[in-house]
Amino acid sequence: MPELPILVVGGGPAGMEAARGIAELGYQAVVVEKQSVLGGTPELAGYAALTPDFADAGEAMKKMAAAIEGDPNVEIRLGSTVTAASGSAGDFEVTIKNRDTADKVRVGAVILATGFQHFDPGRETQQYGYYEFDDVITLVDLEQMLHRKELVRPSNGEVPKRLCFIQCVGSRDRQIGNEYCSKVCCGVAAKQSIEVRQLAPDCRVFVFYIDMRMYGYWENEIYWPSQEEYNVNYVKGIATEVLKKGDGLLVRGEDTTMGRPMEVPMDMVVLSVGMEPSAGTREMAKIFGCAQNKYDFIETTEGALNTVATTADGVFACGAATGPADLEDSISSAAAAAMKAIATVRRAVAAS
Amino acid sequence: MKDPTKVANVEPERIVEKEHVVQDGMDISGHWNRMFEQRTIFDYTPELLEKVRAVDGGDSFGYCYQCAQCVPVCPVHLVGDYGPRRIYRRVQTGEDLFTSPDLWQCTTCMNCLRVCPKEVDMIQIMPAVRERAILDGTVPAELQTVFENTAEYGNPLGESPKKRAAWTKKSDAPVPLMKEKKKADLLWFVECYPSYHPRGIDASLALARILNHLEVDFGILGPEEKCSCDSQRLAGEVGLFEECAEHNLKMFKRYKVRKVLVTDPHALNAFRKEYPDLGGKFETVHYTTFLAERMDELGMTKELGVKVTFHDPCYLGRHNGEYDAPRNMLASIPGVELVEMGRCRENSYCCGGGGGGMWLDGFMSDHVEMRLSEQRVLEAVETGADVLAVCCPYEVSRFEDAVKSTGNEGKLAVKDVVELVVESMGG
Repeated sequence: MPELPILVVGGGPAGMEAARGIAELGYQAVVVEKQSVLGGTPELAGYAALTPDFADAGEAMKKMAAAIEGDPNVEIRLGSTVTAASGSAGDFEVTIKNRDTADKVRVGAVILATGFQHFDPGRETQQYGYYEFDDVITLVDLEQMLHRKELVRPSNGEVPKRLCFIQCVGSRDRQIGNEYCSKVCCGVAAKQSIEVRQLAPDCRVFVFYIDMRMYGYWENEIYWPSQEEYNVNYVKGIATEVLKKGDGLLVRGEDTTMGRPMEVPMDMVVLSVGMEPSAGTREMAKIFGCAQNKYDFIETTEGALNTVATTADGVFACGAATGPADLEDSISSAAAAAMKAIATVRRAVAAS
Repeated sequence: MKDPTKVANVEPERIVEKEHVVQDGMDISGHWNRMFEQRTIFDYTPELLEKVRAVDGGDSFGYCYQCAQCVPVCPVHLVGDYGPRRIYRRVQTGEDLFTSPDLWQCTTCMNCLRVCPKEVDMIQIMPAVRERAILDGTVPAELQTVFENTAEYGNPLGESPKKRAAWTKKSDAPVPLMKEKKKADLLWFVECYPSYHPRGIDASLALARILNHLEVDFGILGPEEKCSCDSQRLAGEVGLFEECAEHNLKMFKRYKVRKVLVTDPHALNAFRKEYPDLGGKFETVHYTTFLAERMDELGMTKELGVKVTFHDPCYLGRHNGEYDAPRNMLASIPGVELVEMGRCRENSYCCGGGGGGMWLDGFMSDHVEMRLSEQRVLEAVETGADVLAVCCPYEVSRFEDAVKSTGNEGKLAVKDVVELVVESMGG
């Protein structure tokens, strides 16, 4: 059997890293990306700076793309989707469709790097008035403002004097169906709180939280500086409702460390929305026959000891396709997926 | 008619009332049209936090992330409602620390800093904010009196500076004055309470006898000595501290002092940590550290047959790391059985005297259920000890009062470690 290429579905950070790894080891990768550019969510959602190191998101994604563009071992198919797959580990046949054509490609292994989508705060609950009040926005909306270096209230174009983050929106919630912690929102909110204070030094910033989940170095690299150097106020207890008050907003909740209700005026409210499986993740799971967990992320099968194997032999998943993941997780699991996919291809060649 | 300003929970500024209103022919003037503006239940006041942080030494106040480890180990909280985490939150929600009673309750015992993962340093924060409050004139009256006494007489008790060495007349063992002796290996810095307070003097007499028995070449400053002023400094009177320090340093220089023996752990703290910045170049040793190594030379023969519990002074233990010397002393006294209290060594409970607390009993009584010294005495009684041994001059008087006020007179004696030593040396 000839040595077949490895299919990488998704051109975000995880997909690009997987393809880079495959090519660097001398194997062939075919990257299929639905959008017309590489870069994935950081690029498409207009991220400003990466968490936790404040690296320019656009620059970082360009650098990752440049590492595979023009590499003879990597074939990049933009504006394309996988619509069907057959075969088994070592010898799959997949149908790749773009706007004009569809063709069938033989691949030896598959890496699904189809990522996540941001929770839509209007999906299940209207409690925070995301679709009612212009000045209630999400982390993603704020990220775009920070990217433009223009922090203003959407309602009136003025710089906010008081801005708060409400954590865990769409995460850790049985009723919504997302029982998991989305892992990155605490860090992103802390990072953004610093950027808000840098952009608008007179703006008071508050973070209402259940518990701040600042993994590893995020604690000392973003959480502590936000409080110690940027005077961001952390208040334990997430708000329950946002109401209109005058031309501003009234945030109501309970301050749990004080054991009393709180009702505080704000100019802007930022909802720290979590992660859900992207449409691509859901579709690819079906096409490749990978079991999904109860939240529709792609299930990995061997627990902590193998973070990329799926229930379909020869199909691996990495990044946020398997569950909430930060960039560091995604890059690491992409490398693991590349390694295991290569092993699958080598085994197929050896067996023939 | 109810006074609108006294309606429960309605702040006057929230009451909206039109003086003359006629509606549908009906006169609804004044209170008949009274409305209340919607209340903000409470707001956050980052500016009050930043005000504390802006003071030199106050910055770490803003580090608190509310883990609350400090509250259970705060000695004031055990008898009241206190602790750095709570103070942080009160300030974040509207309390001005500069004018709040919260400012004066901290004894700077350092047990909060010991457990604080963020190193919120109340030992820096409290004195720094207090210094500003003193400048603004918002200092509790009893503390103000002590500052004035110290400024005028060189001691917080308001005693005559000339009589600072009067206690030595009661001593059988000679206690030479540096003024006469001029030169000695060791300067014994006696400090205020051991010079003037009757029970402090008892300990001084015991120490004088021991030093003579050991043939130590020592002298005291007597009237040339002023309060080390560390507690006044921690209570916010930095200017006064510097004045006294300059005086004492001048005396040390005059007698070419190289080594100082202190009775008072607060003096130890000042001499080790503050005086060097003011030009002090000398070694300081607490008397327990000094004596612990020479216990076998004291000829202690009398079996005391007592059960003793020991109270670690905050400024000897947590602040300066000496936990073993007093215990070693006690262990070498014949017939002393040492039993520890639950809170001991690093987690020792504060007697309430530090950071100005020594002079704030009246003020504190409005804020705590019982004195810290009373809480500590109850802990000592619980061990079944006959004697509560101490080695800080604040403690003898505080604990003896607390023994009486808690109804334990006759059950528990309070003695300085050196008093027990002298008893065993044959009275």
